[in-house]
Amino acid sequence: MEVEIRNRPAFANLLVNLQPGDRIIAEADAMASMSSTVDMTTRMNGGLFRALARRFLGSESMFVNQFTTNTSGHIVLTQPFPGDIVCVELRGNTLFLQPGAFLACEPGISLGLGFAGLRSWISGEGLFRLKMSGTGRIWFGAYGAIFTREVTDEYIVDTGHLVAYEPSISIRVGLAGGVFSSFFSGEGLITRVRGPGKIYMQSRSFDGLAAWTNAHLW
Amino acid sequence: MLDPNQQFRGGVFHHSIPDGRIGAEIRITPSEIIAEPSAEALSAMDPSEVARLPRWVIPLSECQVDLGGASGRMVFCRNKERDLTIFCEERGFAAMLGDRSGGRISEQLHLVRERQAGENHRFRFWLAVGAAGTLLFGVIGYYSVLAAARFAIAAVPISMDEKIGSMAMQTIEKEKKLSADHPATKFTTEIVDRLKPHAAIPEMNFKVIVIDSSEVNAFALPGGQMVVYTGLLKKAESGEQIAGVLAHEMSHATLRHGLQRVSQSLGIVAAIQFLIGDAGGLLALGSQAAQTSILTSYSRQSETEADLEGARMLHEAGLDPESISEFFDKLKKEDGDIPGVLVWVSSHPLHEQRIESIAKFKSTLGKKEYSSLDLDLETVKKSLE
Repeated sequence: MEVEIRNRPAFANLLVNLQPGDRIIAEADAMASMSSTVDMTTRMNGGLFRALARRFLGSESMFVNQFTTNTSGHIVLTQPFPGDIVCVELRGNTLFLQPGAFLACEPGISLGLGFAGLRSWISGEGLFRLKMSGTGRIWFGAYGAIFTREVTDEYIVDTGHLVAYEPSISIRVGLAGGVFSSFFSGEGLITRVRGPGKIYMQSRSFDGLAAWTNAHLW
Repeated sequence: MLDPNQQFRGGVFHHSIPDGRIGAEIRITPSEIIAEPSAEALSAMDPSEVARLPRWVIPLSECQVDLGGASGRMVFCRNKERDLTIFCEERGFAAMLGDRSGGRISEQLHLVRERQAGENHRFRFWLAVGAAGTLLFGVIGYYSVLAAARFAIAAVPISMDEKIGSMAMQTIEKEKKLSADHPATKFTTEIVDRLKPHAAIPEMNFKVIVIDSSEVNAFALPGGQMVVYTGLLKKAESGEQIAGVLAHEMSHATLRHGLQRVSQSLGIVAAIQFLIGDAGGLLALGSQAAQTSILTSYSRQSETEADLEGARMLHEAGLDPESISEFFDKLKKEDGDIPGVLVWVSSHPLHEQRIESIAKFKSTLGKKEYSSLDLDLETVKKSLE
């Protein structure tokens, strides 16, 4: 299965070329266009309760769509917000995604939902996270550009900018500076990420967009 | 017990590996930790790369352990140079390491766990401090807004009260309104006219309408428009008791309690909007605030204020201030058990305290001969039958 990430980074989308036997699983509503030779089947994502949990706790949809073809064809998959998409290949390892980031994966990947803990919640990274494991490629998106960093010791990320991280990464909440500067610098709480491991960050945050929009509404 | 040949699933971080990390099978021998690429990891790799991959070994004697990862339970083993990390999250791995190292690693892990526990304690402490701080901030903010609203109203012209009052009046059912020449309307208007010169704002445009309803209720809208239900007129024993109710209601208008309610509700929403940034609710409440239910349900403090101001008005008008307490005392005694009937009294809490505070206030007003209203309540009652 050939997958190309096009129009990067602002309006990235996936062009997936399917051959007989190929399968790709995508987030519901991710399909923008496809060949008439491609078949789509919708299934609940791992049982009712897991699907419900994924919908309400993980900000993902209850259903996922599976695309196959008997001849050949292509589909275009997109995410609802402007930004980059990256591909990560899992080889039996695990990757945690922030709620809402998942776009598509190969059938060897299992999608789960894990409790991320109070610290993650307070630092604005959500109370739950998506747990991707298995063997195969996954594609996830972000708002803005995506950049990665190998964290060996400790690294600081502003709230809302963390998109994905490996399970060897631990997350702690911290103040950006002292009590005064934290609240008046506009930085507030930050996320302290401790390695070793790789983190994926987005160059824009939804909170930032919401605050900016709000300030211009009146 | 521990199986000496047990394999653990984990991984390795090392610069020689393409991408820097690989999933691995880990064994612990009596002297070493040995990691080999897992079958899953190899299956996805190029065969030429596989051939170059070594096995990774950390002698137990130089192994430095740490705990971490997303779960906080991942064990990291590093060599002396700290350029090779073997990690594993599986149960039993830490115990096996401790067992094989003769307790040295167990001690290291124990220290790390103590450090983690300390961090957890600090986190919980600051979480509690944060929650308490937020709560305190909210409570102080709430009362500051209430206080600020009271002061801000003095700067708002009375015409604003009248506008809000008229808006609210439009929502009131007018079909059952009694005509202006109905004895009940004339009766109440006469009382209002007598009380008017003694109101705190005599130039306020007081008006009263009577609505045919069994509900025992009366209320004033901002700006001085009042509504009296026939149910209340039927229950009253004397014109003075109705004068007491009307004086109380007129006081709500002159003390501008309705506007206070609106500005407090708006102020609280504005404060919430400032804190949370949701503007939609503000508009919704702005329109909702015009509704009578918000305008006429006052705080306990406002009720007491209206009682005393009403008592003052009655006293000035030469009527007995205790006719206010007399009326709701009668209602309470007669029909106190019937829920829903006594709307006017039930919205006024702490019955005995009110009677007491009115009596106390009366004693400060000085002696005066109180007269009675020479109005015929019985004819009014008959006209309502």
